Order: sequence, then structure tokens, then C-alpha cells
Amino acid sequence: MPGSGSRSGVSYDARGLVEPHADMPTNIEVDGGRARFDASALTIRQINMALRKLIYNDGVTDVTVLNPSSKHSLAVGILKRCRIHFEGSPGWFACGLIDGPEVTINGRVGWSVAENMMSGVVTIERSAGSLTGAAIRGGDLIVKGDVGARTGIDQKGGTIIVTGDVGINTGFMMQRGRQIICGNAGMNLGDSMYDGAIYVAGKVRSLGVDCVPGEWDDADTELIERKFRIHGLGDPPEFQKFVCGKQLHNYDALEPSERKLVIH
Amino acid sequence: MAGSVSTGESPRETRTVAIDAEVLAGKRFAYQEDMSLVEDIDLLAATPGPDINWLEDITLLSEDGVPAVFDRYSNSFLKIYFDIPPGREDEIARKVLIKHLTEGNSYGITLKDVHCKFPQVELGPWVDDSPIVGTDWKQPVLEGWTAPAGH
Repeated sequence: MPGSGSRSGVSYDARGLVEPHADMPTNIEVDGGRARFDASALTIRQINMALRKLIYNDGVTDVTVLNPSSKHSLAVGILKRCRIHFEGSPGWFACGLIDGPEVTINGRVGWSVAENMMSGVVTIERSAGSLTGAAIRGGDLIVKGDVGARTGIDQKGGTIIVTGDVGINTGFMMQRGRQIICGNAGMNLGDSMYDGAIYVAGKVRSLGVDCVPGEWDDADTELIERKFRIHGLGDPPEFQKFVCGKQLHNYDALEPSERKLVIH
Repeated sequence: MAGSVSTGESPRETRTVAIDAEVLAGKRFAYQEDMSLVEDIDLLAATPGPDINWLEDITLLSEDGVPAVFDRYSNSFLKIYFDIPPGREDEIARKVLIKHLTEGNSYGITLKDVHCKFPQVELGPWVDDSPIVGTDWKQPVLEGWTAPAGH
């Protein structure tokens, strides 16, 4: 194996990955298109290997992971339609880079859940850490609790829904997409955003640079009512809308695709 | 060729400026010219969750003055040459894009078979029975190259 016998004694595979225990877990129960396994004694890579094998190779479309035990980077890079349910709380970077899965988490999550999600639905029954939905590009991310700072930083699409409060710098450098905040927002909401919309039902401590109140229209009402209905969030409260004032950035200097996306 | 300019060095030398799906693919596709080929596409079925999910961010744009939809999987514009009925601009743009992706014509998809390092579905999440690619990636080796001493 390339890299084996290195001074550090750590082995790397050809892709540059390191893994002390890369054996496929043996405690997976499969029943038709459904599977479940206990992750408490497994390494991060073993858990992700099991998910990939089940979803890509074995035709399983519904996986339950018991006891994720706050391990980081679980269910990352899953690029197929499926359902994944975590019974417990994953750690940082859960469900990053996914394209298609519908994930439910009945615990909490740490930093950067659903970071760079391309499509799918991630629903968290409790609170989430900072950088929730960082650079998300599509899909729905629902947090039924509070979240930390910089929610949706560099958001390029998709919808983030938080039923509780959000921390400082929410929507920092947001470029597209939507955030629906049912609670209060911390300082610098929407700071340096390029585009997109942030809806807040509670109090906003302060607006960031170039974030301004926006005009409400029928499309906003349709969006809010549809998202609340399909995610079973009850009756929506009344929201204020915030958008980009478009005074900060030089839009002519953006990449062609970004410029076109903004102008439309 | 759309999006190409002469370098002035030679009439044959061109430099591609635009990011155009048909330039990348080397051809234009029938569904860019015939709306009937995309009319029956079910956008809800093609996307996760109970609404159109990521397609909510896909809208009709324009490239070189032609209506176009942006294909994020190849960072290119897919032009639409047929007349789009008023009021259906975004819906048609989404249907053309999904047709392009499900048929595996996106340049990003064509690259997967050769270059992806990790097992993944070839056509993406919009096709149920897509083949898996990236299962036998091998590290490229430059012919005649040997590792320097000590490595």
C-alpha cells in the first residue's frame, strides 16, 4: 500500500485516505430495501463505508444508523436518492456534500451540518451548531431548534429553516437561496450578502452591511406556506423579509455565471 | 463556434471564452430545439422531497442573447432554441435541464467514468437505476517516472 511503512507509521491508501480500521462492519441488519446498524463501536470510515455499500451496491434505500455518538463527517458525499435516519446525535460536518438523500436526525448536530448540500432534505429534531448549511447549494435543511453563528454562510441556493433562534452573522456572504428563521436573529444578519432572501419572525439584533428590509410579495407567501406545509411545521408566523441592498459589491466584476444569476 | 474568438496567430487557433454545454459536448441535443421532448418530464419525481427541491433555484437565464439554463454539474449554459410559452419559462428551463442530466449528456457526467475516485452513481440522483462508477480508480502513473530517492 502506498505510504505504508512511513515514519509516522500511518498507512494511506492511493487516494490519500488514512484509516486504521477499514473493515466492513458485520453488525448490519438488512431487510429488503431497509437496513440498520449500531455505530457506537465503529469508526467514522466504517460507518461511511457501510452507508455507501448499502446504498450504492446493495440496493438499500432506507438506512437507520443507531448511536452515531457525535462522530464527525457521517453520511458525507452520498450522491443518490435514499433515506437515512440517525438515532442520536452526529458530530461535525454531518451530511456534507450530499446530492439526493432525505436525512432525519433525531438528536443534535455539531458544526457545518449539510455543508455544500447539492440536493436533498435534512431534518434535525433538535439544535445545531455554527455554520449550519454552510455553502449549501440546493435542497431543504430544517432545524427544529436553535443554531449557532454564521448559518448559511456563503449559501448559494436551497432553503434553510430554523424554528428557533440564530446566532451572529447569519447569512454572511449569502449569494442565493432562502433562510426562514422563526425565532430571533443575532447581530449582523445578512452581512455582505449578494442575493437571496432571509425571513425572520422574531427580533433582529442588527443588520449587517448591505442587508436591507425587502418588499413582500405573493411568491414569498407561497414559499413560506409551502415549506411549512410539506415539512409539517404548523401554521407559519408572520415574517419580515430581508434582502441585499446591492450597494456593496461590484456586480460587473463577478464571474459570468454569477453575474447572470444575480441580474435575472 | 459559439463562444470562441480568434487569437490572431492562426485562422485555426481559437480560444473558448464561453462555457457552453453544446461546445463541451461537441453537439447540440434534440431537446434544445423541440419542446415536445421535455413536456412529459415529472419534476417532482425527479427531485428529493415533496416539492421540486434544488430545482427551485433553477431559472431561465440567457447566454449570448439566447434563453439558457445553467447546468451546475458542468458549469455550463445549455441553450434553448424553441419558443417558450409565456409564464412557463422556469418550468421549461428545469425540464430541459433534467432531460440533459437524465440522459447523461452533461459534460460533468461524461467525466465521471474516467476520473472519479470514489464509487458514485454515474447519472446522479435523478435516475433510480444509474450504474455505479469510480469503483476501480487507479492512481495515474507517469510513464518512466520514478520516485526520488528517500520517498
